[in-house]
Amino acid sequence: MSRAQGVLRLGARSFEPEQLLVMAIVNRTPDSFYRPGITWDEGAALERVHQVVAEGADIIDIGGVPAAPGSVVDTREEIRRTASFVAAVRAAYPDAVISSDTYRSEVAREVCAAGADLLNDSWGGPDPQLAEVAAECGAGIVCAHVGRQSPRTRPHRVAYPDVMADVLRQTLGLADRAVAAGVDPARIVIDPAHDFGKNTWHSLEVTRRLAEMTATGWPVLLSASNKDFVGETLDVPPDQRLSGTLAATAISAWLGARIFRAHQVVETRHVLDMVSAIRGDIPPARAVRALA
Amino acid sequence: MIAAAALCPAAPLLVRELTGATVVLPELRAACREVTGRLLRARPDVIAVVGAGPQTRTWDGASRLDVASFGGLAAAGRGPAGAAAGAGTAGLPTALGLGARLLDEAGYAGPRLLQAIGEDETPAASAGAGQRLSRAAGRVALLVMADGSARRGRRAPGHLDERSAGFDAEVERAVRAGDLQALAAIDPVLARELMAAGRAAWQVMAGALDSRRLDVEVLYADDPFGVAYLVAAVGVDEGGGPGSDRTGASQ
Repeated sequence: MSRAQGVLRLGARSFEPEQLLVMAIVNRTPDSFYRPGITWDEGAALERVHQVVAEGADIIDIGGVPAAPGSVVDTREEIRRTASFVAAVRAAYPDAVISSDTYRSEVAREVCAAGADLLNDSWGGPDPQLAEVAAECGAGIVCAHVGRQSPRTRPHRVAYPDVMADVLRQTLGLADRAVAAGVDPARIVIDPAHDFGKNTWHSLEVTRRLAEMTATGWPVLLSASNKDFVGETLDVPPDQRLSGTLAATAISAWLGARIFRAHQVVETRHVLDMVSAIRGDIPPARAVRALA
Repeated sequence: MIAAAALCPAAPLLVRELTGATVVLPELRAACREVTGRLLRARPDVIAVVGAGPQTRTWDGASRLDVASFGGLAAAGRGPAGAAAGAGTAGLPTALGLGARLLDEAGYAGPRLLQAIGEDETPAASAGAGQRLSRAAGRVALLVMADGSARRGRRAPGHLDERSAGFDAEVERAVRAGDLQALAAIDPVLARELMAAGRAAWQVMAGALDSRRLDVEVLYADDPFGVAYLVAAVGVDEGGGPGSDRTGASQ
């Protein structure tokens, strides 16, 4: 049964269903897959925040641990990388929506205290305390599908009788758990998590069938930016995945996704504005052609 | 008799919701608002909107522009305008619909007469239509929706025709000077070649005002998108009292 999308609350902000939001990625890591280390330096990271805000980002997603396996980033190090930075961003932008890309409840507590509004758990709830921290802090939470994958591992020979059924089962289960933990339902987001626990075929299929997620009424986050499923589909390295990413962005927006996690804010904003205008949700910025 | 007249362009971009998020040409809109307001202040018994159409005919005064035929969020089934605007009048010439809209926006609720003048109507027939309009009531205000050449540049709707500059300059001069004879004498063939859609409507105005003494103020004259727009308020010398000045001023 399909449920209508409602208002999404993030921090002090409220977003109507037809508003499409750009979540800009700011990684405090030396080794993330896309342009590694570019915002490892705190000054460079703050500069990036200034830039993405100016470019129209609605949410700033700050992460301290790369998704891929590699050098260990323990809780203490993750807090060191992100908490003070969240505080700095909060100080610079009192009204911005700040998201923390973390799966650890100890980190969540620190970043929420520093001003984070949303806990972007890309790893499908491995730490059951995370939802409780979100509830305590009044933060939102992202409920992602990773199949049976553990944090910072790569999917290996994953198979699903029906991948979307598994996505729905896991994300809706996490959403229910978050509600039970006391998280405001208007602050819960679900995410099919492209590439996570999925091969390229799976990621393409969840994109194709995204309407099954949006029909649940939970706001859907698309996290597809420059990922491997785009790279494999087009046979291109990370620095040539923008057009493929934007195609997935447009299709997903059309199918009802509401938040778009992105490296390239301007291009993503343009695509989303085009989709909104095609849908008739927003007017063109300036129309005079054949009207003079 | 004519109590006052106003000239405005018949550009769909005057419809606020059609230009999207940006208020395009606010100064043009303000000028149109101003001259329409002056028409209302002339205390007319009726306001006659004049504009080009496929043929000469009058339209019901309750007719409205079919905005959705140009698009807008209402055409996409979205936005408050969709619900509020209601259906427009099918086939109503754009110039008349835009004039009716200016009157709506000015809050005018009095009688209106919507006069389409055929694009190919002769100057004499156009002037005759104007004379009939001037007799429609004791005090008639004219809202003339008329454009100059649409061929004023390489990016203009009709590309560039070098003759357009001189043509439009002469129209502007005639309007500023209240030179009705010059307006009446505009060559319909040249006007058509230059895509000056307002030719017949100007000549209706010339016929309606006959040889009255005019006090003209041009509030806008420019071609930001390659079409000559002219916004003018035309005051009419009412000396001599209603009905008595017509013959006196005609020599």
